[in-house]
This record gives sequence, C-alpha cells and structure tokens, in this order.
Amino acid sequence: MHIRIYRYDPETGAQPHMQDYTIELESGDKKLLDVLMRLKNIDDSLSFRRSCREGVCGSDAMNINGRNGLACITALSTLKEPVVLRPLPGFPVIRDLVVDMTQFFAHYHEIKPYLINDDVPPERERLQTPEQRERLNGLYECILCACCSAFCPSYWWNPDKFIGPAGLLQAYRFIVDSRDTATAERLAYLDDVYRLYRCRTIMNCTEVCPKGLSPSHAIEGIRLELVRASS
Amino acid sequence: MRSPTGGAPKFLNLFHIRFPIGAMASIGHRISGVLLLIGLPLLALTLERSLSSEVAFESLWPAVASPWWGLLLVILVWAAAQHVLAGVRHLLMDIGIGSPLAQARTSAWAVILTAAIIALATAIRWLA
Repeated sequence: MHIRIYRYDPETGAQPHMQDYTIELESGDKKLLDVLMRLKNIDDSLSFRRSCREGVCGSDAMNINGRNGLACITALSTLKEPVVLRPLPGFPVIRDLVVDMTQFFAHYHEIKPYLINDDVPPERERLQTPEQRERLNGLYECILCACCSAFCPSYWWNPDKFIGPAGLLQAYRFIVDSRDTATAERLAYLDDVYRLYRCRTIMNCTEVCPKGLSPSHAIEGIRLELVRASS
Repeated sequence: MRSPTGGAPKFLNLFHIRFPIGAMASIGHRISGVLLLIGLPLLALTLERSLSSEVAFESLWPAVASPWWGLLLVILVWAAAQHVLAGVRHLLMDIGIGSPLAQARTSAWAVILTAAIIALATAIRWLA
C-alpha cells in the first residue's frame, strides 16, 4: 500500500512536507490505524495520536484522502491509493499528524458542558420520562474528535470566535436536557453573531462525523430554541 | 486560553480537501454573490444609457452584439440563478425544511444543476 503522510518537525524548523511510504499489507490489517501502527514500528519519528483503536476515544482524527475521519474505524478496503494523510485542517500542527486542540477545548469549556441544576437534589436521582431521555440521543454520543469543527469553513476562518459544530452540539445536549435549569443562560450566551450565527448551514460537519451525528441539526435546534425564547 | 503552538503551521490547502456537494453549493453561492455585486451595476448603467436617447441606444448595439457581452450575460444569468436558488435553499433549511443530510445533498445537487441548465439555455438562446 502506498501512503503519503504530512510530516512536520518543529525542532528542525523545516517547512512541512509530504513523505511517501510503501508497506505490504498483512492479513491482520483491516483499518488504517493498523497500517499506521506498523509504519510507526518502521519509522519511529512518525507521530500521531491513538488510544482506544475502536472509535470511542476520538484521538486519531485526521484528514484522510481529503476528508476528516478516524483512522481506527476507516476500513483499508474503502481507501483509494495513494492514501494521503494530513493533520486536521485549520488546526495548528504540533508534529506530523498531531494537532493543537487548545482552542477547540476552550470552546467546549465555554458552553459549560455539565448539568446545571441548583435545586435540592432528590433522594435518589433526577428522573426523566422516556421522551425526555430520547431528546439526548444523537447528542450525548459525541466523542470530541474534532472531525466536524476541523471540516467547517466557518470554523477555519474564525476559530477564536465561532464555537464550532462540536461545541454547539454539546451545548444543545444540555439545552434539551430536562434536568438542566440553565437553559435561558445557555441560550443567551450563544445568541451571538459569531458564537452561533457564524454557521452557514454548509453541513460539512454532518458529512464527516464518524459517529453519524448531526451537529447541523443541533445548531438548527439552538436557533429554533432562540426564536421560541424571544417570542 | 494560551496555546503552546503559536506560529505553528496549519494544513489548510483547500485544493487538498474533498468538499461535499453542500460545500460546493455554498461556495457557488458566494462566488455568484460577488459576480452579481460586480455585474449588476454594469447592467444597470447600460440600461440607463440605453434609455437616455435613441442615439445612445443605437451606440450600444456594437457592444451588445459582441460575443463578450453574450458571455457576460450567460455568467450573470448563472450567477443570478445560482444565488437565488441557493439562497432559497438556505432559507428553507433555516426553518427546518430539507435539513436532514440526504435531503440537503439532493437540494445542493438540484441548485447546482438547475443553475447550470438555466445558464446553458441562456447560452443556446444567445447563439440561436
């Protein structure tokens, strides 16, 4: 298999470049990460993040043949050669395929990704009806891999001001949570020309989400909640 | 929050990114908007001049009959069609109509193809 990988070493000061690798596939190689792990054994200077190797931790997000995805759940059989791997678009590169996610997580913290409820807690737990619980489906599954935000043109041009699809999906997850009592504050924070309304409904986020979620649907939900709150 | 990678390179070469059809419709919306911004004042000025007198109307004929004028008209008709169709698509999606991914893909294709067909029909009519 022919693979081209974006290489950057901050210690040399050289510009990023593409490096070609050719590797024979073995019977156990099913996913892209399998090949990357074997390449790492051949060239230990190659850097990328990975952890769970099964699409749960979101560490190995990268640009694969022009689309963002997770190496660990990308089947080799679906890839056209040469397989071109680059770091997530628009994110500062630390080294090779490893990007700096400081800004991304700053936006995640901004939207207060935790339940806010100052009422006296009940003796056992805050109950929800099945319908209330159903509203969290398609939202709570986000693994914060950043595939969506790193494929969003609005986020590329305004990474400091636009919260991005991942952060907005997480924000909506708490807005629709029946146990959360800070809905008005959450909506007031998002009601901003950059934080929320920089989204142009291009839907690149939904196209590339490796978990099959729809951040654009969540953003539409936030907009509708804001309309309801203002009427 | 302070980032440890100030001045680090970023990969953002748009020619190396495989854009989905929705992004193509969005880029088309922007390009057509810029073309209309430049082209509409030109058309308005031409119209104003043509209405000012019979002599002025006649004097515009050589320019209007040239192939370049035809090309300009076809481009502007494409821009108007693309911009209006993509704009209506956006408005509908903003109120939740056609916002699921499969429908959004279909409507993006529909916008791009319809605008191209309208531009082609204009070109054929110009040449006829």
